Amino acid sequence: MNHLPETIRGIPHLISQDQLKEYANCSGDHNPLHLDPAFAATTPYEKPIAHGMLVLAFISSMMTETFGRRWLAGGKLKIRFRAPVYPGEEITSFGTFQAISSDGQEAKYSVSCVNSSGTAAITGEATIPWTTVSDPLPQKDLK
Amino acid sequence: MDLSSIESGQILIDEFLAISDKTLNSYLVATNDAKSVYAPDNVIPPMAIAALVMGSAMRSIQLTPGAVHTGQDLTFFHSVDYGTQLHCQVMVSQNTVRRNVRFLNIDFVINGKGEIVMTGRSSIVIPEESPSS
Repeated sequence: MNHLPETIRGIPHLISQDQLKEYANCSGDHNPLHLDPAFAATTPYEKPIAHGMLVLAFISSMMTETFGRRWLAGGKLKIRFRAPVYPGEEITSFGTFQAISSDGQEAKYSVSCVNSSGTAAITGEATIPWTTVSDPLPQKDLK
Repeated sequence: MDLSSIESGQILIDEFLAISDKTLNSYLVATNDAKSVYAPDNVIPPMAIAALVMGSAMRSIQLTPGAVHTGQDLTFFHSVDYGTQLHCQVMVSQNTVRRNVRFLNIDFVINGKGEIVMTGRSSIVIPEESPSS
């Protein structure tokens, strides 16, 4: 890949309660809002919701698959969590090229995680280092 | 922890950490991330590090279950090889209350091999109990 893709798309992820348990184990975030249906029923969400950082990981994974080390060593994310994600929902991440920064050093993408109904759970901006438009992308440099 | 007692600039965490096999595998399963992308170069997914740090931060301030993570900034300066010992510092950069809602910003800096590998800012809102309730 020698040019910046206009659009990028991650693989769809079907969220499960088991995933939330696994994420709680690796992050140490055992907030009952994510894990305990009885507790979640007492909140405005009514059901357990996914950890925001779990859903955000899908965007980072998409950026890694597309940009390799450029993302892992120079990527920036600035996002807002817009809506809860529930087990049973399918979430897909997207990126759309926006612009090269005024100093020509960075490429900016708008990014989002969207459920199958089209509701955005996350929106924001991702930036990768970029010197010129013709700067080749060593996409496979992790392989 | 009494959130009202936390001052802006207060250090919550200042410690070394390493990502274990168990944690990394758990992260990859939870996020359905492609291990094949990271494994050949022995690189840790940066979001696995961020997850661990955020989890530690949440535990250190004992956030109430009503807390909501509203925003996240992350900058990855260097990739992190598996087995790298990391140093993590987490600091409160904002702690204010408006209309019975507490706004908490938590900043973190992760160092590895003598250089900054990642920085981040987490924005969290926490409903306060109203005086009449």
